[in-house]
Amino acid sequence: MSVSFQPLLTRFVREPGSATLDFYRARDLGYEALRKAVTTLQPGEVIEQVKASGLRGRGGAGFPTGMKWQFVLKDSPKPKYICCNADESEPGTFKDHLLMERNPHLVIEGCAIACYAIGAKVAYIYIRGEFYHVQRILEREIEAAYRAGFLGTNIFGTGFDCDVYVHRGAGAYEAGEETALIESLEGKRAQPRIKPPFPAVSGLYNCPTAVNNVETLCNVPLVIAHGPEWYAAIGPEKNSGPKLYCVSGHVNTPGVFEAPMSVTLKELIFGCAGGMRDGRTLKAVIPGGSSTPVLLPDQIDIPASFDAIAKAGSMLGSAAIIALDDTTCMVWMAKNLLAFYRHESCGKCTPCREGADWLYKLLARIEAGEGRMADIDLLLDVSRNIGGKTLCPFGDAAIAPVVSTIRHFRGEYEAHVREGRCTVPAGWRGRGTAVMAH
Amino acid sequence: MEAVSLTIDGVPVTVEKGRTVLQAAIEAGVRVPYYCYHPGLDIDGSCRVCIVKIEKMPKLQTSCSTVCSEGMVVSTTDPEVADARAAVFEFLLINHPLDCPVCDKGGECPLQDFSYSFGPDESRMDFPRRVFDGEGVMADVDFGPTLMLNRNRCILCTRCIRFMREIDGDAQISVADRGNGSEIATFDEEGVHSLLSGNLMDVCPVGAITTRDYRFKSRPWDNPAVADTVCTMCSKGCHTSVWLKGKPEWARGSKLVRITPRLAPEINGYWMCDIGRFGYHWVEGERRLVRPIVRGADGAQAAAGWHDALRTVGMLLGAAREGGSGALRFVVSAHAATEEMFVLKGLMEALGEAAAATVHWQRSEKDQPAAVKFTIPVTDAPNVNGARDLGYAVGAGNDGVPDLSALQQAVNAGSVKAVYVVDPGPAGSIGDLSWLAAARTAGRPAVLIVQAVESSPLTDAADVVLPGSAWLEKDGLFTNDQGRVQGASRALAPPGDARDDWSILVDVAHALGVTLGYAQAGDVRKAIAEALPGGPYADVDQVTFARPVKASHWLRTSNPSERWKWDFMFQDLPPVKGHSVQTEQGYVDGRVLPLRPVG
Ligand SMILES: Cc1cc2nc3c(=O)[nH]c(=O)nc-3n(C[C@H](O)[C@H](O)[C@H](O)COP(=O)(O)O)c2cc1C
Ligand code: SF4
Ligand code: SF4
Ligand code: FES
Repeated sequence: MSVSFQPLLTRFVREPGSATLDFYRARDLGYEALRKAVTTLQPGEVIEQVKASGLRGRGGAGFPTGMKWQFVLKDSPKPKYICCNADESEPGTFKDHLLMERNPHLVIEGCAIACYAIGAKVAYIYIRGEFYHVQRILEREIEAAYRAGFLGTNIFGTGFDCDVYVHRGAGAYEAGEETALIESLEGKRAQPRIKPPFPAVSGLYNCPTAVNNVETLCNVPLVIAHGPEWYAAIGPEKNSGPKLYCVSGHVNTPGVFEAPMSVTLKELIFGCAGGMRDGRTLKAVIPGGSSTPVLLPDQIDIPASFDAIAKAGSMLGSAAIIALDDTTCMVWMAKNLLAFYRHESCGKCTPCREGADWLYKLLARIEAGEGRMADIDLLLDVSRNIGGKTLCPFGDAAIAPVVSTIRHFRGEYEAHVREGRCTVPAGWRGRGTAVMAH
Repeated sequence: MEAVSLTIDGVPVTVEKGRTVLQAAIEAGVRVPYYCYHPGLDIDGSCRVCIVKIEKMPKLQTSCSTVCSEGMVVSTTDPEVADARAAVFEFLLINHPLDCPVCDKGGECPLQDFSYSFGPDESRMDFPRRVFDGEGVMADVDFGPTLMLNRNRCILCTRCIRFMREIDGDAQISVADRGNGSEIATFDEEGVHSLLSGNLMDVCPVGAITTRDYRFKSRPWDNPAVADTVCTMCSKGCHTSVWLKGKPEWARGSKLVRITPRLAPEINGYWMCDIGRFGYHWVEGERRLVRPIVRGADGAQAAAGWHDALRTVGMLLGAAREGGSGALRFVVSAHAATEEMFVLKGLMEALGEAAAATVHWQRSEKDQPAAVKFTIPVTDAPNVNGARDLGYAVGAGNDGVPDLSALQQAVNAGSVKAVYVVDPGPAGSIGDLSWLAAARTAGRPAVLIVQAVESSPLTDAADVVLPGSAWLEKDGLFTNDQGRVQGASRALAPPGDARDDWSILVDVAHALGVTLGYAQAGDVRKAIAEALPGGPYADVDQVTFARPVKASHWLRTSNPSERWKWDFMFQDLPPVKGHSVQTEQGYVDGRVLPLRPVG
């Protein structure tokens, strides 16, 4: 199984110097999409084209990007802002990192076109706290873009002004949630705001704001350069455009792969990523980052698209595909992930703050062989009491590993309780305390 | 008002447009619990207990953050709501110490009350609780000069944080760490340093923030009576409630246990400052004057009865008046109620010395953040405007600087034979009169009469001391810095033989041969209303003064937005044995003593 697709976002990322402006101008889009947008299109036309392209947000929810921009209150007398969400903290996700590191000008060009579309003059790239070296690259290349006149004032002599700034967070998963990101940008704790008002109405500094993922913004220059019809023709209907997949776990060649969303999960794992390591068998797949429910091997022969994965009962999320082989103890895995969620819960709302920790404690007890049968239903009940009842979607994210592993692997939980130990053949397993992200 | 109609639990409700579902429920008397919501603070939407079901919305919604819209159908009792709400209570309590028996909030704790009403019967949490600074009250840590903090009890509603950010204007409190480890903190553990700190105890829905002043002092059920009154520690005139402890007769200590703010949207909102909140101890303090004092022929002061004291005052002042016009001068504290100032004015006019009084008070700049939303005036007295309205010279007025220099010059020049000081405020609140005490000691003036509530160097120098009443011991009118005429109500009886100040002045007038004809305070207010028609005083004779009422009643009526939630409290409390709180029946409006003619 191999996937033949000429990458559009990551075509040159393995070539030396791909991050430089000279390279970008010689080989890639070279700010011609920005030129086209500001010199030949009205902002409203840019939004129409993005809508027509069918581009959906790559940050997790798959919300149509053109629509998001349309909601931005353009008549407001206040300044508007673009926030590029480069917090990329969902376990298993490492695509935005690649784009920013190897193709930063595509990100910058996307930011500038987005600004033009919504009437903003400033874009902030909010970058994850740990991405020190990526921040340096971005800042260096933003500098180059200013020198070349692609940023700054009077771009292409049209009177369009645009500044792009990089803001490094302090390292928090929750800072990737759009309103928490905005709070953090304002210098406060990365805790979400209650919605409504949505950022499109009242976002950064209470001004109309669009928050877009790095990969989303990288698709925008493609739409403008090649036209919405060309773009919409890539991949299945309503799931258009090139997509980056981060395949990791027990595969032979983990990495970022670019494909249209017609590619199947199976092709990504067994084709792109070279199949399971050591000839092991696949046990389960997390299709869209740690906060998406697991799928079983017989569920993965489906397109890795927003709609197809949703239909299978999970989510494309951040397209972080984690393949787990038969040596994986699902109780251990759930515990490991809950160690992450309990640590990353921002603590603002009650169910998540108190519940995530409780879930972790229950999982740790079961995993240690000290659990009770009732703990399994308690896990489900506590999850139910978190799900849909929190201030932000983090709560739903945190319970996904618990609920879906119990649904599919309840036997493993019961075995831990009954036998007081793990019964999964342990070829490879993380031991000791779970590794904290920060 | 643009109105919106909706139904809550099947009951039609109409509210002002823009109100939230929670506010509509509160207005309609529907019980919806809440913690992070506070009517005086911004919406946070974080505690999640206020969830309700709204038709056509896929998920349960937090009612505090959902604005009412026309035709909305809300349920607070749907099984889905009840279930989810109970779950939030379970979450709130899994780490809560449940040390209610030793917690100061016990008995007036929304976490207790709502958990009983809406929470699950038992918790399924069987792991050790999260502990921050120690177990039990060992966890109480310093939280600045006025407060203590117990992080184990905190439910992270962030009301305290928002109070400091939004009202105090200096965001001294924040959350440190995150997730399950989140804790309320101040920079470098410095605690809260603010003149508004006491409000943090009020906003905290649990016993996490307590005031050092009230800590371990009482229980709400030991405070069977509360009187609504007005603070007189500055010219703002905040509406307050005074809590009185009912205690066995044999117990010592004070009755007055705390003062809390009472909602007055145009004056103090939900808040009050620490000066008024904590500055009440003098009322039942050691320095209170409880009997008249007369300096005898031997030069020593000795306690006396009212008859003797008043007779002495009559003789001394009568003699001084022979020194001619200007020989008798008065100094009046701006802590005096309007009634007292009015009676004094009548006396001076009858004596033909209409301008013989100087009004004086204390001023102090308050150190408050630039962004503060609750400013404390510089004028540390409640009634400068009342004095102004009665025609006393108060210089530049409420915000001005009082001036005693003319009086001081006259005293130094020897033209003043007697000075009469009316000072019903705490010692020193009238301003610096040490020069007068020294002048009297030096023999000029020859006579010093001090009508006061606390002993001070001034009373030490006086020939006669007449014990008056503190503001909590009498009904009185005070005109605040906005010009509002407000009635401060009596909550306590004055100590010993101390009396209402206006009646003392009537008796002093009588001793000087002037009959003013007021038998009770109501007569004085009637005369004020007649003397100042058409303005804010026109109906001061109609002002009703509150009497101490049962605390349960107060809890229901004082704060309209919280009213409904107290309905179930204090219903089945044991009676406090032999409690001695004076309620309505006990108070006879400050009578004038029948006085034998001077002679
Ligand atoms: C807990 C949480 C973490 C998130 N982290 C990220 C992130 O790291 N990067 C990201 O682009 N979106 C993240 N999101 C999604 C954002 O809230 C937002 O939907 C997204 O940035 C919108 O961009 P898009 O429309 O381009 O997808 C997160 C959401 C939640 C609830
Ligand atoms: S769900 Fe979790 S991360 Fe989101 S606001 Fe609540 S505590 Fe914070
Ligand atoms: S200390 Fe009190 S007011 Fe502050 S967050 Fe905790 S419970 Fe809320
Ligand atoms: S009161 Fe509504 S969420 Fe706290």
